[in-house]
Amino acid sequence: MKNIIKHINKLNLLVIAIALFSCSDDFLSPPPNSVLNAATFFETEADLEAALVNMYDGIQGVNSTDSNDNHAIQVEFYLTEMRSDNTRTKSSEGEAAQFESYTIQPTNGIVDDYYRSFYNVIFRANTVLANLDIATSENRAKIEGEAKFVRAYAYFNLVRLYGDIPLITSVISTGDTDVQFTRVATSNVYDLIETDLLTAIGGLDNSSKLRGSKAAAQALLAKVYLTRGANYTEAQQLCEAVMGSGFMLQPNFKDVFYNELNSEIIFAIGYQEDSADSQNFSAEWLNAVGRTSGVNYTTADVRTVLNDLGGNRTPYSYRVDTDQPTQFQVVKYLPEEDTALGITSTVTDRTKAGNDWIVLRYADVLLMHVEAIMAGGNDTSVQAALDSFELVRLRAGLLADDDGTITKQELLDERRVELAFENHRLFDLIRFNEAQNVLSAFSTATGGSFNATDLLLPIPQREINLSLGQLTQNQGYN
Amino acid sequence: MKKQFKNIIWLPVYAIIAFTVQSCDDFEQFEPAGANSKADETPPMASFSYSQGQGEGEVWKDYSFANLSTSATTYLWEFEGGTTSSDVDPTFTFPGEGMFTVTLTASDALGVESVFSEIIEVVEPEEPEAIVPTILEQSFEDNSPGSEDCGDGNMDGRDCWRNSNLGGVIQITNSPTQDGSQASKYPSAGDRIAYQELTVSPNTDYKLTYYYTLKTSPVGSVTVSVLAGGGHIDLSAALATTLEDFEGTDQSSSNDYIKVDIPFNTGANNTVSILVTNQGAEARVDNFSIAAD
Repeated sequence: MKNIIKHINKLNLLVIAIALFSCSDDFLSPPPNSVLNAATFFETEADLEAALVNMYDGIQGVNSTDSNDNHAIQVEFYLTEMRSDNTRTKSSEGEAAQFESYTIQPTNGIVDDYYRSFYNVIFRANTVLANLDIATSENRAKIEGEAKFVRAYAYFNLVRLYGDIPLITSVISTGDTDVQFTRVATSNVYDLIETDLLTAIGGLDNSSKLRGSKAAAQALLAKVYLTRGANYTEAQQLCEAVMGSGFMLQPNFKDVFYNELNSEIIFAIGYQEDSADSQNFSAEWLNAVGRTSGVNYTTADVRTVLNDLGGNRTPYSYRVDTDQPTQFQVVKYLPEEDTALGITSTVTDRTKAGNDWIVLRYADVLLMHVEAIMAGGNDTSVQAALDSFELVRLRAGLLADDDGTITKQELLDERRVELAFENHRLFDLIRFNEAQNVLSAFSTATGGSFNATDLLLPIPQREINLSLGQLTQNQGYN
Repeated sequence: MKKQFKNIIWLPVYAIIAFTVQSCDDFEQFEPAGANSKADETPPMASFSYSQGQGEGEVWKDYSFANLSTSATTYLWEFEGGTTSSDVDPTFTFPGEGMFTVTLTASDALGVESVFSEIIEVVEPEEPEAIVPTILEQSFEDNSPGSEDCGDGNMDGRDCWRNSNLGGVIQITNSPTQDGSQASKYPSAGDRIAYQELTVSPNTDYKLTYYYTLKTSPVGSVTVSVLAGGGHIDLSAALATTLEDFEGTDQSSSNDYIKVDIPFNTGANNTVSILVTNQGAEARVDNFSIAAD
C-alpha cells in the first residue's frame, strides 16, 4: 500500500502514457460509415453505375412548380421553340412571354433554371470522370464514353444558347472562381465537345435508347459538325454509320411519339408516369392544366406551313384547343386521351406525365444526311441525298422531291414540319443562316422587337452577381 | 402717421428681402449640372457584324447587318450610293461585286457619337468545280512530270504505284504498250499490285479509263478496283471498301489492248484509291485517265 502511494506519481505518468499512445487518430474521429459523402462514396464499379444513372436524372430535371428546383430539359422548349416562329404563350403571361417578344431580361428565371440545371449535369458527368480509376478495364471505355457523351450533350446545348460560356472539365469547389466565371470562346467549347463525342463513339455500343449510345454520339457529332459549318464529309459518314445501325422510320407518324422506345428513337430522356420521375411539360402545353395557363401554343405561321407541307404529319403535330377553339395545342406529347387521334391516356395525374422526351430520332439523321451532302451549298441533286429525303417524305404520305434537286429552303421547311415542337427549329434557323431574316420578319408581324443580339440568351443575372462582376454579359442585354 | 407707417412697412420689406436673398443660397442645390456632375463613363461604342444572303439567284447581294453597339440609343447607317438607314439591324442590297464601305454612327441621348466603319468585299459565290485529280505516272513512262516525290525518286514509271503492304511492285514492259514506250506488267503469279491515292470531291460522279491486255494462256484476269478512302495497308480490308471495279478477262490477243471505263460516285469520301491486281495469267495495263462527269 505504501509502495503504491510512494510511486503514485510514476503510476499516474504510466497510465497517462498508455492512454495517449493507445488511441489512434481514427479512434476519436472514425470515418462516417452510415452517412455517405462524395469523398468516400466511390469504391466499386457499381457506385460508378449509380453515378452514370445520376447524370440522366439530372437531365430529366425535377417535376415541381418550385422555381428554385432544377428543371433541366423540362424547360428547354421555352428557350428554343418559343424563341422561334413555331410557338408562343397562349395568353402572354409572366416571364414566359419575354421569349416570344424577344424582350428577355437577364433576371428571367427560366433562363437561369436551364443554365444551372445543365451545369449541374456537367458536374455529375465530371464526377464520374474524376472517379474513373475504379472502373474495371473491360468497362472503363464504356463508362468514360457515356460520361463524355452526356457532358458533350450538355455543353452543346449551353454553347448554342448562351454563346461563350465557362468551360469546366473537372470537379471544382466554390473557391475555384477563375474557372467558374471565365467565359471561354465558343470554338474552344466546340473543340471539347468534338473530342468528347469521338471518345464516346469509340467506347459505346447501341444497347440503350435511354442512355448514351454509339449511334447517339455519332448523330450528335454530325449535328455539331453541321453547326460549325465544317467537316461536311465526316458528318455525312457519321450519318451513314447511323443509317447502317438498324434504325428505321416508323410507318405511322403517330407511333414515333406514342410507342415508347420504337425503332426510330436513337436517344430519349425517359420518364415514368405518376411518379417522382415524371415530367410536367406535357401539362404546361395544355390549357390551364399545369401551373401556367398554357405555353408552347402554336403560332399561325407554323400552322400554315404544316397545312401546306405536313402531309399526314399535320394531325399529329397540332390540334384545336377544345376549351378555347381559337387556340391550337401541340399533339406530340399529350398526357391525356384524344379519341379523334386514337391516343389513349397513360396517366392519372396529367402534371406527372410519363411521355419520354425524344432528343434524337432517325428522321433527323436522314435530313442531316441531306444537309451534309449539301455541304453549305444552295442545293443538291446527289442521289444519296434524294433517297434520304424521299424516305422522310414517303412516310409523311407525300411524294419525293419533284424536280430532282433539293434546295436549302426545301430542306429547312421539311425539317420544320417533320420535327415541329421538338426543340429543333431555332437551331435549324441559326445553322442555315436564316435566323435573322426569318425572325425579324416574324417579330415584326407579331409585334415583338427582335434584334440580331436576341439570337443568344443573356447570361443569368444570378451568375453575374455571384461572380462579383467577373462574368461579362452578352451584347444587347444590360 | 405717414412716417410711422413708412417705418412699419419698410422694416418687414427689408426683412423679406434679406431673407429672400439669403435663402437663395439653398437654391443652388437645384441648379443643373455644374462642378458636381460626373462624366458618362460608358459612352457609345459602335460595332456591327454582317452576313451574306444565301440561296438562289441574286440573293448573294443582300447583306443583313447585326448591330453590336453598346450604350447607344440612335443609329445611322451609311451604305453605298448615299443610302442611309436608322434601323437597328438593317438589310441592304449591294449593286454587285466589289468593295463597299459601310459606316455606322451610334449616338446616345447626350449627343456623344461613335463611328465604326468596315469595307465589305461582295463576291458572287461560285459553285465549286469538281476536283479532277492528276494520276501520276499515268502511262508508266520514265521521268513522268510530278513523279520526283514518289517512292525512291527514281522516276522509273512505277514509283508512284508502289504499296509494299498490299503487294510487290509492278514490272515495266516496253512491248506491247498502248501509249508511250512503257506499260505496267503483272506476272502470272499474281503477287504484284499497282496502287495510287487520288484527292476527289465527295458525292461526285467520275469515270476512270484504262487499257489492258492478257496473255492468251493460262486462264486468268486483271482487276482494277476503285477503293474508298486511302491509307490502305491490308489487301482484304482494302478490297472490302471497293466502290466499283472491273475484272478484265479478254484473252483473245496478247498484243491488242482493250479499253475499259469505270464510272463511280465518290460518296462520303475526299480520297479514293486505284488498285490493280491480277491472277492466273500475265497482264499488262497502260494509260490511266480520269474525268468528272
